[in-house]
Amino acid sequence: MIHAATDEVLEHLWYAVEENRQVHSLGDLGADIDDASFRSAVYELVADNAVDSSLQLSDTGTQRAKRIVRRHRLAEVLFFEAMGTGLDDAESSACEMEHMLSDVVVDRVCTFLGHPPVCPHGKRIPGGDCCRLYSKQIEPLVMRVIDLPVGAVASIAFIAPKTLARLEKLAAFGIVPGSEIRLVARKPSCVIAAGATSIALEDEIGREIYVRLR
Amino acid sequence: MSQPDSPLEIVLIGNANVGKSLLFSRLTKRHATVSNYPGTTVEVTSASSDIGLIIDTPGVNSLLPQSSDEIVARDLLLERKENAVVVQVGDIANLRRTMLLTLQLAEMDVPLVVCLNMADELHSGDGDGTVNASALAGEVGSAVVAISALRRWNIGRLRDAIHCAVRPTAAVTYSEAIERAVARLLPILPPNLRCRGVALAILAGDASLRPLLPSGIVAACDEARESVPQPASMTIVHARVAAAEALIAHAGAASTRRSGNVRERIGALCMHSVWGMPILALVLAFAWYFVGKIGAGVMVDWMQATLFGKWINPNAIHLLKALHPPRFVFELLVGQYGILTMALTYAIAIVLPVVITFFAFFSILEDTGYLPRLAVLLHRAFRRIGLNGKAVLPMVLGLGCDTMATLTTRILDSKKESTIVTLLLALGVPCSAQLGVIMGMLAPLGAPAALIWIGITLGTIGLVGWAAARVVPGDPADFVLEIPPMRMPGITNILIKVAARAEWYLKEAVPLFIIGTVLLFLLDWIHALGLIQRALSPLIVHGLGLPAEATNAFVIGFLRRDYGAAGLFTMQKAGHLTPNQVVVALTVITLFIPCIANLLVMLKERGARAGWTMAAFILVYSFGIGALMNTMFHLFGVVL
Repeated sequence: MIHAATDEVLEHLWYAVEENRQVHSLGDLGADIDDASFRSAVYELVADNAVDSSLQLSDTGTQRAKRIVRRHRLAEVLFFEAMGTGLDDAESSACEMEHMLSDVVVDRVCTFLGHPPVCPHGKRIPGGDCCRLYSKQIEPLVMRVIDLPVGAVASIAFIAPKTLARLEKLAAFGIVPGSEIRLVARKPSCVIAAGATSIALEDEIGREIYVRLR
Repeated sequence: MSQPDSPLEIVLIGNANVGKSLLFSRLTKRHATVSNYPGTTVEVTSASSDIGLIIDTPGVNSLLPQSSDEIVARDLLLERKENAVVVQVGDIANLRRTMLLTLQLAEMDVPLVVCLNMADELHSGDGDGTVNASALAGEVGSAVVAISALRRWNIGRLRDAIHCAVRPTAAVTYSEAIERAVARLLPILPPNLRCRGVALAILAGDASLRPLLPSGIVAACDEARESVPQPASMTIVHARVAAAEALIAHAGAASTRRSGNVRERIGALCMHSVWGMPILALVLAFAWYFVGKIGAGVMVDWMQATLFGKWINPNAIHLLKALHPPRFVFELLVGQYGILTMALTYAIAIVLPVVITFFAFFSILEDTGYLPRLAVLLHRAFRRIGLNGKAVLPMVLGLGCDTMATLTTRILDSKKESTIVTLLLALGVPCSAQLGVIMGMLAPLGAPAALIWIGITLGTIGLVGWAAARVVPGDPADFVLEIPPMRMPGITNILIKVAARAEWYLKEAVPLFIIGTVLLFLLDWIHALGLIQRALSPLIVHGLGLPAEATNAFVIGFLRRDYGAAGLFTMQKAGHLTPNQVVVALTVITLFIPCIANLLVMLKERGARAGWTMAAFILVYSFGIGALMNTMFHLFGVVL
């Protein structure tokens, strides 16, 4: 819990820097921050050299705060955009998640989401190592089969169809997660090839098949 | 070889477009239509052979059926007799899907022979890989034979394997919950359905199985289904796919179809969003030239004017006159409504050349693999009329024969689509025989007349399809269509198909032509034809603005509309119709119900109520449009 309080203080200090606000006391960070547990969190942060006595972030503090904000905002995107929850639910769950995710998991989530630049509120998501790599090799971890370059081969990561019947129909052709498929054409209709079988699909189904590039 | 007590029943089962029908022809020496697109066979066909009764079935993707033609194949497996052998036909270049079905067939508890067809393609450079049939046989536990039905490779070995077919030993192990539920279901299933395959289908929630289950066990089946984590269908399929892949890997087999060759590139161009349309235009232009100019033009002219007009008919009349028959007989045979001078002249001289040239062209198209690519190209346009690209297949087949095409609506995945396509086929898709006559009649009139006819016909398909999509209940089905590889059509198969279709035409259409002619003759003989013409004259003469004589064409058009069109064709040639009248008459006869056979199939496939409703709508619509055209022509002073 103490740990969560330090995270919370760092997060709010980051917001203040982001919004160009001057911080002189804990009260400047928001009404719900100013209580005993947060005050002891500040002492702990000062002892760790993350924050100086006038409540300014040090370099290490900035790095820690950046990672927390990144986790928070990526979690928001994950819940809001990828899972389709409401913004309130996304936000409250993100508040919990920001304390738990390891950096490796966060980078995977970031890659999965295609390295989003902003959160659902429109605020910038601090970049991670994965994003710097991404600027060189422009492949997200998982993408819709219809977004593959024509001719590219990928393996199916998961299929998220609207109906079970669709899943069964694809399965009858042997198209299940793990199968290797190739995008043959995107227009005028989506055509994929699995082994020696070529199948024309509804575009909507092409958007429901998620693949991982080899 | 030991002689079996009763003849074997050999059921050919396999994925779509793997060559079941060709193998059927090879084993029985009987013709079965073979084409390069999934869904050529929609009905069970059987014929006896020296090794037993051979049964050809529609293609299946899995034994959990998705469309009515798949149910037919599955039911046949369930009705298996003691002496039945299943011959699974598979594509040797597509082992994964073949083995996926093999494992399902193994669960049906029947003697099985797996034949891996198209082995020639693996060696000809189209395919790649090594498939050791005996290693696979070891894994499956049944005979596996690599054959080529096309080149007749190993057909003898397949026959031997059928004689000593055994139940396969390969089995898929499912999750504990599923295995437990299967074990609970097996003892309560009726003996004829007692196999793992049926138990698994019940767990997967196969609704098409319900009518076959005794009512006493339905509750127990539901209970078993609820005891396994859902969706069980997916858990089951995943286990099967994994088992199939493991089986292929154990046998050390690997095969694929080579990609990137010229044919594949042509195939890709045919469904290209830019190049697809010019290619379609080229195909249509070729059809117009080959069927319209050569078939309906050159060949019909010679057959009608020279063969029948100068040789057969005058000589027959001459010969008959010499015999001094009663006037009734003379008129019946060679009069104005004579069996020879009208029925056979129409059937042989006008329609047959068109049917032959059309089917020659169409067979080439079918065998290349162009049609499924056309479906991809037109999918979006078809979406607007409540259909999907898959419906292109029956609609294009309707240009050959609407009756056959109405049967092909079975490949469609929803009842809604089958209903809409059945209606559009009967209403707006002229069959080959009629199309040729229409092309022949429009050719001398020039572009405006042809554009009006095409515009109204396509407009009708669009408008009625759009409206039907809103009226007919149900959801549109997903577009999921297998695209076969492009292949070079074989001349032999095309000749066989043309011959078979010409034979079918002569057997089915000519008797109807004769009946129609005799009917007209009798009506004329008792002077009733004039009465009918007068009775219908408000409709034909005032409504459509046609000469009273055209009534005859519509009367016989009730039997077959190509026969009606042929009647209009001769009227036009004799100069009895103005260009305006030709266009009105052609449009009405195009929108008319195709023929008695088509009406019967409509009633059979769609039920009496829907069938008659469609027929009534078509009748009113076709004459209504004709009357509207006539009015418009007068109103705007259009002279074509």
